[in-house]
Amino acid sequence: MLYIYQCTRTAFTKMGGAMDHLNAADIGKSAVSSLLANAAIDPALIDEVIMGCVCQPADSANIARVIALRSGIPQSVIAATVHRNCASGMEAITTASERMHAERGKVFVVGGCESMSNAPVLYRKSAVQKFTQLARVRSPLAKLKAGLQFRPNDFKPLVGLRLGLTDPVSGINMGQTAEILAREYEISRADQDAFAVRSHNNALAHQQSLNQEISPVYTHGNAITSDDGIRTDSSVEKLAKLRPVFEKNTGSVTAGNSSQITDGAAVLLVGSIRAKEQLGLEPIGRLRGYAYAGCDPSRMGLGPLFAMQKLFKETGFSLDQAELIEVNEAFAAQALACIKVSDSEALAKKAGLESKLGEIQLDKLNQRGGAIALGHPVGATGARLVLTALDQLRENSQQHALTTLCIGGGQGAALWIERLT
Amino acid sequence: MHLKLETHGTIAHLIFDRKDSSANIFDRDVLAELDQQLGGIPKCSKLTALIISSNKPNIFIAGADLKTLSTATGEELESLISLGQSVFSKLENLHVTTIAAIHGACVGGGLELALACDYRVASEASCSRIGLPETQLGIIPAWGGSTRLAALIGLSKALPLILSGKIMKPKAALKKGIIDGICPQEHLISYATSFTNRPKRQLPTFLLEHNPLTVSLIRKQAQDSLYKKTRGLYPALNRAVDVVCTGVRVSKQESFNNERDAIKELSQGPEAAQLMRLFFSSERAKKLRIGEQMPGKIDHTAVIGSGVMGSGIAYWLTTKNCHVLLKDINSDALARGMGTIESLYRSSVKRHVLSQTQANAGFDRITASTVDLSLNDREIIIEAATEDLELKKKIFSQLSEASSPDTILATNTSALPIHQLAAHISHPERLVGIHFFNPVPRMKLVEVVKAPQTSDATLAAAVRFVQSIGKLPVVVNDSPGFVVNRILLPYLVRAGQLFSDGHAPEIIDNCMLDFGMPMGPLRLLDEVGLDVSLHVAKTLSAAFPTRMEIPSILTDLVAKGLLGKKSSEGFYLYEKGNTKPNPNIQPGVSPQSSAQKIQDELTTLMSEEAARCLDEGVASSAADIDFAMVMGTGYAPFRGGPLRHAHDTNLLQRSFY
Repeated sequence: MLYIYQCTRTAFTKMGGAMDHLNAADIGKSAVSSLLANAAIDPALIDEVIMGCVCQPADSANIARVIALRSGIPQSVIAATVHRNCASGMEAITTASERMHAERGKVFVVGGCESMSNAPVLYRKSAVQKFTQLARVRSPLAKLKAGLQFRPNDFKPLVGLRLGLTDPVSGINMGQTAEILAREYEISRADQDAFAVRSHNNALAHQQSLNQEISPVYTHGNAITSDDGIRTDSSVEKLAKLRPVFEKNTGSVTAGNSSQITDGAAVLLVGSIRAKEQLGLEPIGRLRGYAYAGCDPSRMGLGPLFAMQKLFKETGFSLDQAELIEVNEAFAAQALACIKVSDSEALAKKAGLESKLGEIQLDKLNQRGGAIALGHPVGATGARLVLTALDQLRENSQQHALTTLCIGGGQGAALWIERLT
Repeated sequence: MHLKLETHGTIAHLIFDRKDSSANIFDRDVLAELDQQLGGIPKCSKLTALIISSNKPNIFIAGADLKTLSTATGEELESLISLGQSVFSKLENLHVTTIAAIHGACVGGGLELALACDYRVASEASCSRIGLPETQLGIIPAWGGSTRLAALIGLSKALPLILSGKIMKPKAALKKGIIDGICPQEHLISYATSFTNRPKRQLPTFLLEHNPLTVSLIRKQAQDSLYKKTRGLYPALNRAVDVVCTGVRVSKQESFNNERDAIKELSQGPEAAQLMRLFFSSERAKKLRIGEQMPGKIDHTAVIGSGVMGSGIAYWLTTKNCHVLLKDINSDALARGMGTIESLYRSSVKRHVLSQTQANAGFDRITASTVDLSLNDREIIIEAATEDLELKKKIFSQLSEASSPDTILATNTSALPIHQLAAHISHPERLVGIHFFNPVPRMKLVEVVKAPQTSDATLAAAVRFVQSIGKLPVVVNDSPGFVVNRILLPYLVRAGQLFSDGHAPEIIDNCMLDFGMPMGPLRLLDEVGLDVSLHVAKTLSAAFPTRMEIPSILTDLVAKGLLGKKSSEGFYLYEKGNTKPNPNIQPGVSPQSSAQKIQDELTTLMSEEAARCLDEGVASSAADIDFAMVMGTGYAPFRGGPLRHAHDTNLLQRSFY
């Protein structure tokens, strides 16, 4: 079984904000450096560094390797970057588990990092072809001719972030998948807004605990020590004023009841129980089971339910055994749809589940707030859910937590985490 | 046999490999052997080219043997210089194309040899360094270097290089036109061989640059700016301007004669002797070993406190490949420290000291944290917190807990008694002082302070560590203010009193600039920070109540919030691009001393205190004290240091050497 020895994360900061000038590798490096300093282990004990990152920077191919070397981890330690879209941070953890069970390593640094601020802005193919032509020709006249081929439209950039948040198979973007769930499972705008307010209020109430999850990033003479997306003045009335983003006229998904676009990293030191002596650390928790499941890409928001169904079947755990539950809040509509479907036989059948999973009790759910308040740096979120679950278990002296998230492209992930005392 | 001549077809290859030595240097024997080898080449008519290289791993030719140079009598020196000039001229006049293939240090006489070749290529290795540092030793390049460099790259580029004595990386030398190409070390000889079918080099004429009018203009400018910088205190620089500028107008032989006359005269003067002594002191500091065993390499470090000193130290260590855990108690202070380090790195990239990649890697080596962490894996911890003994005691007891028993615990205190920390740690034999000077990146001196508890192994490791980060260690005993601050303080205090008496700051500072100090005492107080100075003054006046007192002017200024340069106001007012005496504070009303009297009084104070340090055994020799003062404060290098100055002028009616 995979044991978790240490974890930390950076603050999650809004796109274009405090960490705007840092790329995903910078943020990941800061988190890993802090993790290693806190653990005070010899980095040569690490067998592999596995990092999730969705929007990998063009100048850091295999970002896990870049982060490992920059953090002072020896050259001989291998590193791989993994990608399961929004579950990339979880994928890093479960990959380590699989590697360990295949006896390919005992100690891993895992996690995820993302700089949504630095998602690329791209030239269109038409422009690229003309640039290539311009570079190829030699004579001034030919250069001029090639230059004249450009049209204003060639310079209209493609926004990488928008492309990344669109599912190419179904052709709709993530917000639209949430709109579908809101319609099909009758999730009202008011309920979504209330859920968003709850997220902010929960985060606000636990800000001190959240700050304890964080290792500061020091940059440009500032210390970035806390999440900056949490609103102190969130209210249903205020949120009601926002206009729907994805379906302008009749939609219900707004910027206020969706996850924020954010930069951040979360990392964990994990490994086998046999590594305990070597590391000189006591494990704080372990991964009892996990499952990934596929579903309809245009209803990707229900992914957690399919993953939970698979997890429960494989492990024998049930929803009521979870003392706390972290469901990623990609969209309020999507999280609420999961809650609603989970506890209704009819809706579960409609969604394609074998049967209902049980009640997701609100008082167990996202007690320190979710991605609506804290933000969703896609590659990092999965690792953050595990990290915050462990810390909450510690704070509440509880044992079992379920962490789950929906994955763009139509998948779900669910990890069962147990705290060790 | 220091040279080997091989012939491959039409190409001769001369390889320098000085016997029984790790370095190639020129002395009479080597020159004579070179003369003989070169003599054989014209007889061999099928030869078309000569390549000169070195067999040493990281030295091409490090120049003349300074020991010979510094001890030679006038006549010996004259004949050695003449011999070198004639051998290098023989090389220059060979009928074959000559190429110097440079890997490693190519400085002084080494570069003068290379300049006598037609072409020069260098390996890109980091040990390859090129320059003429003679003026730094109080002499000038006299084996034709002063003449040939200007002839090769022009007066306007050559003169600054000779005056600054700058040692360049191959890239910079290429840009100046001193060398003709760079390649990887493995390809050096084959690259040099590719130059062999070129004709002998035709030197450019520099019609515009070397006409009488331009030359006299350049000469005038150089003299003026030299006077401003050095107040005419360094004769070698003035002679260099003269010889190099004249050299481009007269025949080669005439210029060689000028070089020879100049070095003969300079080497008889006191300045060259002092500067060479300092050079030997530096070399001694670089090679200093304590005990038999070579301590292991240290690269995992922690720095406690991220103020000016802490962040400066962390920056410096990371540029030298150390990993640093930088700790402070609060994240805002830490953020400011990290901000300082970021800007130090930015400016080093701007000044081409580091590449962007090197700077990024250096910055990455720092982990900043406010959390109480295990420091088990740290080989050395340097405390650079506020100067407060009680605080330091607390910090050291925490460090003792958090670190492993063999972690060296060092303090960067500038004046506090170190032995008082010993009671607060386990294994007190690992306690040592490692005192850096501000600004850390610029100041080469580090006082390594031995407390009574410090073990030899700890001291040895600390000395080795200081050397490994490119600083120069001086071992001193644990006594208030150690050497540098202790000697400096009476001088600074008296300067403050003179100001209070009514002497204007410019008068006080100027007379010490005339003495050869890089900065006047009041300006120095401002730079260090009046609060920091006050702190040192308090510590020292407590330790030496009869001799040192806290100057009231310091207390007054600090109380008013005038902290010197960092608050833009102290003895001087610091406005953007403009510094002037602070009109808001008034000197007293009874100025009594002339500039000469002030200078005499202030320098005597330093020499007296230095003598006390020596008598008390704070440092082990007069040479160490003088070296520390020159490297730590910039004490007029050509005077050799406060004890050497007293010795030479019989200032204290006793001798120190």
